[in-house]
Amino acid sequence: MRRAGILLLFALILSACGGGGGGTSTTPAGTPKTGGTLKIAQETEINTLDPNTSGLLVEREIYYNLYDSLLGIDAKLNFIPELATAWKYTDDKTLVMTLRKDVKFQDGTAFNADAVKFNLDRYMTSTDPAAARKSDLGSVQSVEVQDPATVVIHLKRADATLLAAFVDRAGMMLSPTALQQLGSKVAQTPLQAGSGPFEFVEWKRDDHLTLKRNPDYWRKDKAGHQLPYLDQIIYRPLIDLNAILASLKTADVDMARTVAGKDVDAVRSDSTLVYKATPSLGYQGFELNVSAPPFNDPAKAKAVALAVDRAQILKNVILNNGVVSYGPITPASWAYDPSEKIYDKPDPDKAKATATGFSFTLKTANTQDSIQTGQLIQAQLAKAGITVNLLPEDFGKLTLETRVQHQFDAALTGWSGRIDPDGNMYAFWHTGGSFNDGRYSNTQVDQLLEQARATTDQAKRKQIYQDAQKVVAADAVYVFVYDPVVAQISTKKVQNFTLIPDGINRLAEVWKS
Amino acid sequence: MVEYITRRLGLMVPTAFLVTVAVFLLIHLTPGDPATVILAESYTPEAGAKIHQDLGLDKPLPQQYLLYVGRLFHGDLGRSVRNKLPVTQAIGERLSATLELGFAALIWSLLIAIPLGTIAALRRGRALDVVASGLTVAGISVPNFVLGILLILFFGLLLRVLPVGGFVALGESVPDNLSRLIMPAIALGTFGTASNMRFTRSSMIEVLNQDYIRTARAKGAGWWQVVNRHALKNALIPVVTIVGLQVGAILEGALVTETVFGWPGVGKLAVESIFSKDFPVVQGIVLLSALSFMFANLVVDLVYAWLDPRISYS
Amino acid sequence: MSTAAPAYTAGEEQVVAIEERQPAGLRQLVFDHPRILIGLLLLLVLVFVALLAPWISPHNPLAVNPDDARLSPGAGHVMGTDELGRDVLSRVMWGGRISLPVAFVAVGVGLTVGSLIGLTAGYRAGVTDLLLMRLIDAILAFPALILAIALVAALGPSLRNAMIAIGIVQIPVYARLTRAQVLQLKSLDFVTAARALGASPVRIIARHMLPNLLNPLIVQVSLSAAFAMLAEATLSFLGLSAPPPTPDWGFMINTGQSFLINGDWWMTVGPGAAICVAVFGFNWLGDALRDALDPRLRR
Repeated sequence: MRRAGILLLFALILSACGGGGGGTSTTPAGTPKTGGTLKIAQETEINTLDPNTSGLLVEREIYYNLYDSLLGIDAKLNFIPELATAWKYTDDKTLVMTLRKDVKFQDGTAFNADAVKFNLDRYMTSTDPAAARKSDLGSVQSVEVQDPATVVIHLKRADATLLAAFVDRAGMMLSPTALQQLGSKVAQTPLQAGSGPFEFVEWKRDDHLTLKRNPDYWRKDKAGHQLPYLDQIIYRPLIDLNAILASLKTADVDMARTVAGKDVDAVRSDSTLVYKATPSLGYQGFELNVSAPPFNDPAKAKAVALAVDRAQILKNVILNNGVVSYGPITPASWAYDPSEKIYDKPDPDKAKATATGFSFTLKTANTQDSIQTGQLIQAQLAKAGITVNLLPEDFGKLTLETRVQHQFDAALTGWSGRIDPDGNMYAFWHTGGSFNDGRYSNTQVDQLLEQARATTDQAKRKQIYQDAQKVVAADAVYVFVYDPVVAQISTKKVQNFTLIPDGINRLAEVWKS
Repeated sequence: MVEYITRRLGLMVPTAFLVTVAVFLLIHLTPGDPATVILAESYTPEAGAKIHQDLGLDKPLPQQYLLYVGRLFHGDLGRSVRNKLPVTQAIGERLSATLELGFAALIWSLLIAIPLGTIAALRRGRALDVVASGLTVAGISVPNFVLGILLILFFGLLLRVLPVGGFVALGESVPDNLSRLIMPAIALGTFGTASNMRFTRSSMIEVLNQDYIRTARAKGAGWWQVVNRHALKNALIPVVTIVGLQVGAILEGALVTETVFGWPGVGKLAVESIFSKDFPVVQGIVLLSALSFMFANLVVDLVYAWLDPRISYS
Repeated sequence: MSTAAPAYTAGEEQVVAIEERQPAGLRQLVFDHPRILIGLLLLLVLVFVALLAPWISPHNPLAVNPDDARLSPGAGHVMGTDELGRDVLSRVMWGGRISLPVAFVAVGVGLTVGSLIGLTAGYRAGVTDLLLMRLIDAILAFPALILAIALVAALGPSLRNAMIAIGIVQIPVYARLTRAQVLQLKSLDFVTAARALGASPVRIIARHMLPNLLNPLIVQVSLSAAFAMLAEATLSFLGLSAPPPTPDWGFMINTGQSFLINGDWWMTVGPGAAICVAVFGFNWLGDALRDALDPRLRR
């Protein structure tokens, strides 16, 4: 008995020693160490390294470390200077931007107003069939070079979303010399084409993509040290979420953005890993095709929205790592208003009373989470007498049928979210919007969204988006289910990483201990 | 014999033609638009139409087929729609991983099969033979993905002796590569193990019944001596041909095994391409696997003909 | 790894022993070859469980119960529950109602179409034979599973297309089998006599050829069924068979695989065992029947 007691004490002491540093999440603030290689897991392989034709989130992640944009954002989503040090609307249709001096692209070309014009013109007039930045810059009439450090953007109409566009791909600046020399090869091997903290080294598809430090990067840290700290970054498209988790555990990779919802708790309690999360700008749910039966009948759409148990899906699929969603504006956005909770709790009886006894096909992506969600919806709607047939499909096929052919009843697709609320609404629910798969048309919503674009008064815009959101949510053209979190999982060696709600890994100030 | 070879080769021509037609049709009748894969979120009908033009998808079917065959003769399998790489390059990059896996699977299958098959032949009819028989049937009855998952469960998650999934190139680190090779190789090779074992056993039994073996035994040679010196060689010749078939069909098993273990070979590429509607890559892989299978079959048939001229081929 | 497991190895023309044999009575057969019993028993259990599933399964296989998600095997659920709280045992039982019909239909397709082709080619010979056999060769040129997967991927994932694809892949084996038999018998005296007397081909085939064909066909059917089950499991593992929430063994394993890392082993082991038992049963039966029915291969 005594011996057992001593043994127990022993064990307790040992475990206390060993487990001391495990639970806390604050990393020791030491002096940043220069050097080292950071390995990052990505959940899909990218298609291109050219911001002009890019369409994937994982691509943006790499771009932010290769190329600089005109504007940046901080953790609170405020605009901060990047390649542009100051900007001002002299009137509704004229934007004057002052550019940073003494910035060189990685190939030595100087960054100046000519380069800005070159890049913006390239995005706006590109003849590449996959060119995707035209609508981001749709309000731009022309770009004028006033002097090497000043650019004037003339607009066709007032556009409050332009600054947000300049944070992302439409504002990314590549070296005109490099663009001219590389031609279409810039999509595969953009050697020295950016001005960002890292340079392109090589890309072996489905295996790895390597970046190395840009020794002439223009940014310094607070103490005046040259950034970036890291020597090298290697991206690896591991794709399978379980493989990503396994690699994190064995430290085969240092950082990843996603793990499956079911694994979050395990990651949080893993003492070798650091888990950070912040509400996402994006949402998850399913869209209804209101231009064809059965959902051209608004009652049926509403019945579906009434019967869905959002909290159940949130709990079962992502284990409550997120919140129930009531509309396209999420808690991460400045335009978020938590007061209105449309379709909060499921009400199968009310759903049945509104419309019942019909069936439809719900198309989902081929991923585990989508199929799981789909089956939950199926079971929930059955309680209201609505039959759901599930059809998991390849994502490309799904996009074709929804976006192009408008041939679907319902589709389970979410949105990764944009900094500006317009990016979460206009293209989806404005009449004729490029993402308006269900061909929804509501003049009230149209007017509201147009108004919100035309004014830069944030308070006003917030109110307008609230009004627009209420209509869209109530009409159930899209059934909002949950707003996930944007996460960052890394090993304990990764230091000084700031998580920003757009989910992009900005690595200039990250160092490895 | 020469006449047989010529005839066989001649027969391969129309078959090869039918194979290309089948592969071409297979993919072109598939619903789904590669343009949406390429453009993803930036898709517009105009951009999609331009991509169709670039890929030649707007021409009539027979014309597309002729163009396809024409390109085949130049060794051009087209370009992947996902990443614009030439299909030959896309496959080539992954080939070594699959070959490594296949080779390891083969070694596993022979290492177990030959000794076990021989023992079963020697102990024919007795308990060991029956057990071996049962194992053989079990071996061909477990789908390779089920076996793979069981291996992951046991060695990867329960005992934690082997890393689960992933790939480290041989050039980077031999032990890391090998430790990740073991489970998929076993999963892939077990079916072949069972087949090879069964075949070794029956072939060995036939050989052991030969007169010259009985003579050797009568002269006082022990069973093991007889096996090592005389029987094994002759018994294995037919086994080699079966192995040849397995090599030819390696992609078949690799498809699922590589998917389960995340092994970046041609099989995994095939499955990825099927789901992302990457027509050219799927076409290329199916075509190559058919051709290599046909070739393996041809070699096996020729070896048979050489082995046993008694079998009439008229 | 070629999974078609043909009764005769590739490349050989079928040389089937011609004996005027009385087909042995079933009881005698089983008595002489008790191995047949094991296979038969396994399959009977499988079939009965599948048939009676609606009555004997402890729960509704489609009943979603998120509060009971991912329970390990225990009191209320002998095989635990899956990620949506559905009872795994019930889903495994009902799974047979998907896989077994697919196997039977696929083998049926292969058998009927293949035999027709083989009989026609063998009987008519000449150009017909040449063309039909080239068609068969073309199918045989593809590794069986790859062809099945490619076919289903092209036609669109569904149970029906899985049946068709697997059936098509089975055709060559039966075509070759029947053709070889026809060729063998065609030259025999009594057949020549019958033809001279003007007997119709159908009658000749039915009267003289089919009985001899029966034994190898029976063996092959059993082995084909084994392959068909394997193929269906693989297709559904890849998500190319029946859509969710259908309880399909292969797909259940696919879903379950994601949860292995969380330690949930029961979601894969249940359906995995079911597949193995089914395929094993057919393979074992086929092997035992081959030993019993085909004198040439008897050791």
